[in-house]
Amino acid sequence: MPEDILDVAIIGCGPAGLQAAIHACGKKAQVAVFGRPEKSSLYKAHVANFCCYEKVVPGQALLDAGRIQAESLGADFVTEDIVETKFDNERFVLSTEAGKIFTSRSLIMAMGAARKKLRVKGEKELVGRGVSYCVDCDATFFRGMDVAVVGNESAAVSGALTLLGFAKKVFLVCRELNISKRLREQLNRSDVQVISDRWVKEIIGSDKVEGLLLTENQSLDVQGVFVELGAKGAMELAANLGVMFDAETFSFIETNKKQETNLPGLYAAGDITGQPWQMAKAVGEGCVAGINAAEYAKKLSELEDK
Amino acid sequence: MLEVDDSNFEAKILKADKPALVDFWAPWCGPCKAIGPVVKELEETYGDKMVFAKCNVDQSPNTPTKYSIRAIPTLILFKNGEVFDQVVGAVPKAHIEQLVKKAL
Repeated sequence: MPEDILDVAIIGCGPAGLQAAIHACGKKAQVAVFGRPEKSSLYKAHVANFCCYEKVVPGQALLDAGRIQAESLGADFVTEDIVETKFDNERFVLSTEAGKIFTSRSLIMAMGAARKKLRVKGEKELVGRGVSYCVDCDATFFRGMDVAVVGNESAAVSGALTLLGFAKKVFLVCRELNISKRLREQLNRSDVQVISDRWVKEIIGSDKVEGLLLTENQSLDVQGVFVELGAKGAMELAANLGVMFDAETFSFIETNKKQETNLPGLYAAGDITGQPWQMAKAVGEGCVAGINAAEYAKKLSELEDK
Repeated sequence: MLEVDDSNFEAKILKADKPALVDFWAPWCGPCKAIGPVVKELEETYGDKMVFAKCNVDQSPNTPTKYSIRAIPTLILFKNGEVFDQVVGAVPKAHIEQLVKKAL
């Protein structure tokens, strides 16, 4: 990368992130896009209602084309999940799953609305009684206990590694892991016990978690279950910075017409800002966010030069 | 907002002459940061009829254990020294407001 500091960092490489990158590059900003395209909800979709495309188009083809387009305009792509965001000394600081650090003048959150619930018996009933959705928040309550983490991606694996510092035994219940090589090596070297040939059928316990029932009737005695599906999403990455959420559901990032959040330099676009779950809405918001983030970064950098 | 810990929890919350809503939180918890301002807003509206307090679980290990807290943010509503109701996680303001109204 020619410069150490990015003008615009974009988390998420679905339609909102790609369109934001294209427009930010159009403003001559230094742009990097983070994330894995196969996690976009567009990846497996077939688009039949996007303006100017008369025929049904596979989502994957659109994402591929968008990346080539953004790259040709100068955007860099880092195909890793972001596991931590901080705001430090007027800069957004991002850490990737492989431990790389990037700093940026502005940040666009476009990582979509991921599914967070396992949807198994016992899950809803035992939330806060051993079922948790946030390793960073709740690891401390499981000191000396046996716990399980459920999930296939960076949030689950980095969560399991974090829990080793608190819990007695840590199990990772997963299917095929979709993580960076470096994170996989860290996992292999660790004491995390990986169960990759079973999935969770039920969470057992009356007033607190007592164990898991896995497929093929295997049971696992644990006092805690951390559900960490997908990559870290809005609540994990944005709440930490102090971002406001929508009043109605408290799940989506609140933005104005310029796609600004309550924090200067931080923008959000696409599914992460709420319904409708449509590519057209995502690219529209991405366009606005990309332009405004690039302009914000430019102003900031002019001030720095003075 | 009132800050409570292991040493004054009984006096300030359990023996309060009004219902009390306690926000159990920690500085490392993102969702706690999201819910904090919401509780503050509710205090502005209902502060004369109810005690609003926050308890940092990092500094008060005993109280969270006593109430079997395993996740934060957890909001517990106390009435007459007993747990009246509770809610876990970052939830919408309307949801907490319902809880508050129920206790008044």
